[in-house]
Amino acid sequence: MRGKSKSFLTRRTLVGAMAWSALVPGRGSASPVAQRVAALDWAIAETLFALGEPPIALVAASDWDRFVVEPRLPAGTVDIGIQQEVNFELLATLRPDLILTSPFSQDQEPALARIGPVRRFIVFEPTETPLERPRALTRELGALLKAERQAEALIAHTDAQLAACRARLARLRPPPVLLVGFLDARHVRAYGGVGLYQNVLDTLGLQNAWTKPSNAWGFATTGIEGLATERDVRLVAFQPVPPDALPTLAQSPLWRELPFVKAGHMSILPPVLMFGALPAALRFARLITSELERVAG
Amino acid sequence: MTDGKEKLGPAPLALVLALIAGALVLAVVHEPLMALLRTPRDAGGYDAGRMVFLYATLPRLAMAVLCGAGLAVAGAIMQFVLRNPLASPTTLGVEAGARVALAIATVAAPGLLGLGRDLVAISGSAITTGLVFLLVRRRGFEPVATVIAGLIVGLFCGALAALLGLVEARQMTAVFLWGSGSLSQQSWVPFSGLALRLGVALLALLPLLRALAVLQLGDDGARGLGLSVTRLRVVAIAIASTMTAFVVSMVGVIGFVGLVAPALARLAGARRLGEQLAWSALLGALILLITDAAVQLFAGQLSEFLPTGAVTAVLGSPLLLFLVRRMKPSVPPSVAAPPGWNDPPAARAPVVLAGLGLLVVVALLVGRGPTGDWSLPFGSWSAVAVWRLPRILASAAAGALLALSGVVLQRLTRNELASPEVLGVSAGALLAVALSLLIFGQLGAAGDAVTAVCGGMVVLLLILALGRRSGFAPDHMLLAGIAVSALADALVGVLTAVGDPRAMRLLGWMSGSVAGVSLQAAVLTMLAALVALIAALVLRRWLEILPLGSEAARALGVNLPWARLSLLLLAALTSTAAMPILGPVTFIGLVAPHIVMTLGLRQSRSVLYAAAGTGAAIMVGADWLARTVSFPLQLPTGLVAALLGAPALMLLLNRRGRRS
Repeated sequence: MRGKSKSFLTRRTLVGAMAWSALVPGRGSASPVAQRVAALDWAIAETLFALGEPPIALVAASDWDRFVVEPRLPAGTVDIGIQQEVNFELLATLRPDLILTSPFSQDQEPALARIGPVRRFIVFEPTETPLERPRALTRELGALLKAERQAEALIAHTDAQLAACRARLARLRPPPVLLVGFLDARHVRAYGGVGLYQNVLDTLGLQNAWTKPSNAWGFATTGIEGLATERDVRLVAFQPVPPDALPTLAQSPLWRELPFVKAGHMSILPPVLMFGALPAALRFARLITSELERVAG
Repeated sequence: MTDGKEKLGPAPLALVLALIAGALVLAVVHEPLMALLRTPRDAGGYDAGRMVFLYATLPRLAMAVLCGAGLAVAGAIMQFVLRNPLASPTTLGVEAGARVALAIATVAAPGLLGLGRDLVAISGSAITTGLVFLLVRRRGFEPVATVIAGLIVGLFCGALAALLGLVEARQMTAVFLWGSGSLSQQSWVPFSGLALRLGVALLALLPLLRALAVLQLGDDGARGLGLSVTRLRVVAIAIASTMTAFVVSMVGVIGFVGLVAPALARLAGARRLGEQLAWSALLGALILLITDAAVQLFAGQLSEFLPTGAVTAVLGSPLLLFLVRRMKPSVPPSVAAPPGWNDPPAARAPVVLAGLGLLVVVALLVGRGPTGDWSLPFGSWSAVAVWRLPRILASAAAGALLALSGVVLQRLTRNELASPEVLGVSAGALLAVALSLLIFGQLGAAGDAVTAVCGGMVVLLLILALGRRSGFAPDHMLLAGIAVSALADALVGVLTAVGDPRAMRLLGWMSGSVAGVSLQAAVLTMLAALVALIAALVLRRWLEILPLGSEAARALGVNLPWARLSLLLLAALTSTAAMPILGPVTFIGLVAPHIVMTLGLRQSRSVLYAAAGTGAAIMVGADWLARTVSFPLQLPTGLVAALLGAPALMLLLNRRGRRS
């Protein structure tokens, strides 16, 4: 698939991708003194990894491989506990040069300030242009860590990859996709609106089959009957799917007879960080592009 | 009550409710029904409107009727058997148990849910119902004590769910979704399954009905007829709580329907057991049908998911206040020193003090290093000075504050189950923070603290206003507090069930985190504890006299309303001062005074000192556990204290009950 896709790369995106891949192995070469950064937010952490400035400590690190999946956490990354109850004593012994927070962890800031300089970044914000906030976050982090070139390269690389995915998808003429996460056997979260996933769908030129309103965070919680539609769509569900969900739904005529269920137009994708940044966006774009290519045969 | 009303019973009320329900149901089904009738049966292809109508809308309405009736019958049985107008699946902690069992299974063993949600739910509710029974068995199931025990168990379950939500942040929604029941359906399978289960439970109940009806004669009358009253009670309650668990396992917690429907049936004139059960079932079905149809109509306008269970809780909890006002105050066991009581010699005081000191030293020095190994911090005194000292001081001070508040409340209300949590001051603070988070967004730590104090004070004023009419009758104020707690719980439930990321911060605030407390804040809290102790010592004459009862107090020349008001203010201010440190749920205000009583202390001076010391010691211990037990994960100190405190409390109460 990769070989096939290369022919769709434009020259500009290729250059961007090469610049990025040239920079990443020489991590630290841009900033002579490696900074010891602690991240209290996963969107910030994954951006740091992509910038080649991996954090030394991270909240809920033990859950990372389950919910963010890539990149795998380097072995030395220290787990500093729950986002709302950070292990300050442990963090202090690591002597971080910088502590990066998001509004979700701002209650911890007064205490964190006793350990080292704290900077708060906005990781989620409804914007006019898709992925505007993750791009801005990348540049802000790049500026802070004196890694502006890596930041620009990461943005260029992401844009190039997204463009490549878009080109791959354009040939397939995929149906609208219905993006959901199963909460139990009766309820789903349908993603849309201002969320990261919708941003990626917009960038890839994919149509979202969820047309009802979403909340300020880019999703809507609904009973599964809310998914009923005559249209030819593809259901894309993120893991984990609760073990009793699909067996229970198999007893429901409302579900069984749904055109996309009957036709088997259902895909299950590995987890993607929902309140993520550019790496999560790219991961989602790749996963859904490969999946749609796979089912298109 | 007129003869006409006696004869008609609840029929007029049921008719009015049925008309409202009919109108709402018509509004819900009108459009899809018309569409269904217009289109030919085999139009071919998938007709979403038709499928949703047949397999979602209709079973949902049927489910509302069934769940409403089931919960109402369960509530009616509980109220009848315990002779307690406030008993219900909600107030006895039955729903809380089922719900927290489901949450634990969701996070820890999702495979169990595949085996059967109802088994998980039944185990949970059996445990909590059993606990409540253990707590109040020795008090003859006295109504207010029973409901307070139910509340304690409910708060414990809430603390457990909050901890799960915090640790498993990414599964928060799944943890909380079943706490506010949603009636959403996709087939008739759950309906028929639940109908079958509830039917079997009712069949099991039938042979008991006759014997139960005899209970109306009073325990002695029933015994005279050769019945084992206790066994009868236990079996009937077991059936009722199993019915509740069936409903919760299908749709989640639908709070207060099981309280409101039987209460209305009785108020409207249903007398005999059979009548009460039948009318309760009908009224419960109609109430839930009306609520759910209204939610469906209204939620259509909203972009946000609105769980029906949260709505019934918000509407139902104020009704608890109304019911309270109609209740005769009861006489709870006294916390006063019996005549001629002598406290054990003060020789124990140095031992207790030394113990507290040793605990503080251990907590200061013993911790876990970066690799998780147990260590003494040789060479890293900064960890001790910067991090451990403030949190230990703050924990100790907050523990002492809550314990003092508990002592004052228990003596004031003459009820050994009183505490700041039960009074609703904590819940008021929580409600205020939740609302401010919803309306204004983020206020920061200082803003939250101010909001919390204001919320606590508003609830306090409300309870005072309510209490004035009854001359601050203790029961009434306690139950008003329970109603406020239920309201706060419902609101937090909506926020967390929807999965709003802001709910995570609310959970963090609720959980009582002392890890990052500053030395200044810790010292200030210490000073507050000192002031509270002095104030309580100054007022100790009242603390000594009030437990003797109002007649005795008046005879001794105490201005009762004034004394009660002052003590209530002291208790509320004291607990509010601890709130920014420990969050709303800890149980220290209950546990510490009980330990002191178990030690044999009764005189208010020694009780105050000992309770403050005990509260401080428990919190220091809880904080040390929170810091070390799951390293590197730090747990919130307030939640750890609650999880330790509730079982300790049950042990103490049970032991004391056995001795007396």
